[in-house]
Amino acid sequence: MIQLIALFHAAYRELNARKLFWISLIISGLLVGAFAIVGLNEKGLTILWWEFQIPGFNSTILPPSVFYKQMFTALGVGFWLSWLATILALVSTSSIIPDMVSGGSIDIMLSKPISRTRLFLIRYVTALLFVTIQVSVFTVASFMVIGFRGGVWEPWVLIAIPLVVVFFSYLYCVCALVGVLTRSTIASLLITVLFWLLIFGVGSAEGITLLGKTSSQMALEYAQEDFEVAFEQGDPTMMSPAETQLAEAQSNNETWVTAHTWFYWAKVTLPKTDETIGLLERFLRQYAGMESFGGPDDNETRRVFGGGGTRINVRELGDRMQEVIDARSIWWVIGTSLLFEVFVLSIACWLFSRRDF
Amino acid sequence: MASAESSIDLKNATKTYRGGVKALRGVDIRVHPGEIYGLLGPNGAGKSTLVKMMMTVIRPSKVEGTVLGQPVGHKPTLSRVGYLPEHHRFPAWLTGRQAVEFSGAMSKMPRRARKQSTEKLLDVVRMRDWAHKRLGTYSKGMQQRIGLAASLVHDPDLVLLDEPTDGVDPVGRREIRDVLVSMREAGKSVLVNSHILSELELVCDRVGIMVQGVVSMQGTIQELTKASQRYEIKVRGDVAAWEDNDSMKFESIEDGRTLVTLMSTDPELLQPIIDRLRADGHMIERIEAKRESLEDLFMRAVHDPETGEVLDPGAARKKPAAPPIQPPRGDA
Repeated sequence: MIQLIALFHAAYRELNARKLFWISLIISGLLVGAFAIVGLNEKGLTILWWEFQIPGFNSTILPPSVFYKQMFTALGVGFWLSWLATILALVSTSSIIPDMVSGGSIDIMLSKPISRTRLFLIRYVTALLFVTIQVSVFTVASFMVIGFRGGVWEPWVLIAIPLVVVFFSYLYCVCALVGVLTRSTIASLLITVLFWLLIFGVGSAEGITLLGKTSSQMALEYAQEDFEVAFEQGDPTMMSPAETQLAEAQSNNETWVTAHTWFYWAKVTLPKTDETIGLLERFLRQYAGMESFGGPDDNETRRVFGGGGTRINVRELGDRMQEVIDARSIWWVIGTSLLFEVFVLSIACWLFSRRDF
Repeated sequence: MASAESSIDLKNATKTYRGGVKALRGVDIRVHPGEIYGLLGPNGAGKSTLVKMMMTVIRPSKVEGTVLGQPVGHKPTLSRVGYLPEHHRFPAWLTGRQAVEFSGAMSKMPRRARKQSTEKLLDVVRMRDWAHKRLGTYSKGMQQRIGLAASLVHDPDLVLLDEPTDGVDPVGRREIRDVLVSMREAGKSVLVNSHILSELELVCDRVGIMVQGVVSMQGTIQELTKASQRYEIKVRGDVAAWEDNDSMKFESIEDGRTLVTLMSTDPELLQPIIDRLRADGHMIERIEAKRESLEDLFMRAVHDPETGEVLDPGAARKKPAAPPIQPPRGDA
């Protein structure tokens, strides 16, 4: 316990000494301040004492409580915490493991009566502490803004703290592994960012193929309906094109299903960064009564990518995709991601424990 | 001496790195309680590897024996061992006081005890006035003083110091020597790894010389230089060699003088020689008891006894260039 306290105390001093830690905190404070000065009344948007009348965008259509929650989810978490603040956090913490394993420093640490695994994991947690403090300050301040300005005290907002920390830990395990392997801060940072891009690429590809698969499935269903109608009417002039359309839709759907299966399983093995952050919105929708913006009355039909040229009902497509995404359990989103993290950390620990310094 | 009584008692310590570099090729070393042991050797001889192995920084390929009565790699024992690595580096954002306290905490010292010990050691290494400054602002010598304090803060029974006087001024070196002597007086064991032979000669009870991954000589300086101990008698005039004495050498030196050397330091053997020289009418100018210096010993150890050439620096990839020199007494 004495060692644990000493290491955390040293970590606090380390964070305190890093300028980026304070820069991030100041930016977080400014963002929360910006949230606080923006308001919504029955006429439109307000910023401090200025009022901007925006047709269809006022407190009678969108309650202030929902407005602030949306701002927190979309901008605060979706943009600041899960992108910019994460990049700053990675830059700040990417040197933690390489610094520890550098010559002269590692000799001191390993010569103490503490196991290598414990030492490594405590240093790993130290980096997460950096993010935890950042996210906690931002989220608690946002919680206060939503409470005072939106008039609703919503504890589910605080779920952003563990979600963002877990999201960061997916990336940081790779940073730690590269740090042990290369002892280089630059290499750790670059490879982690590349890994993040890979996750983003696979996630995007999975999303696109899911869209293709869903819309081609809908097109197939439409084609089946057309074929059944033609079959019931027994009209051979209708049967032939309906049959051709059905065959094309089936072939198109099979292609999308195959492509999606590949990307889906690729995604299963990797951490799900977007979905983890997306859980916040899901929780707020399910437990805090926050509805999504846009699209509820959008009932038009369009030709959609993946639909094979068939006109698809966009609203239905959106609903079906949301169903698929919502059907992915928390276990699937966080559990499989944590399995990946445990796997990577195990390799890093094993290497750290066996290595000569 | 029994293994349990030795602070360090290692046998056949071997380390082969990936790529086949043999850093240690069966090192036997023993350090007794209340002893300062000097480990010397050329660059890359394996001194730091040996120390790092004892401190679990490097994993041994093979080793038998104990450190403070426990097998090498036994982590809890490290709370009784102090270590000052060569080129050590504490985080630059810590102050000197924080670095020493951190070291104590990592050795599981309770808060009050480590604070008391830190203040005491800051006085010992004369860093109290700088203790509140960050390490990043320190000179090399100041960092070394803090490193020494950090290695001693938990009052260890055994201290391993790798180049402790590196970058330290002469006053600081003397103070470090005084610290080592006081540790010896307190019954602690100290293993010092240094290139500065004159310093080791001043404080070490025993020395070991490592060459190409083996300890080629080990013992007290007296033991190691026994073969070179002699009396040198400077005599005015030319002295012809005495046929009836094989243990003596006669050498003509400058200004018509002769240097008579007796290969012994037994004063009883010296008396008849003095008598005979005086009986022959020679004037004795000076009589000196001499032995090899540690530097002479070191140079002898790093030379190939067969070819007379200096052995290659660094660890051996295969067999050593020459067989290791046997210690004069099998103490290890």
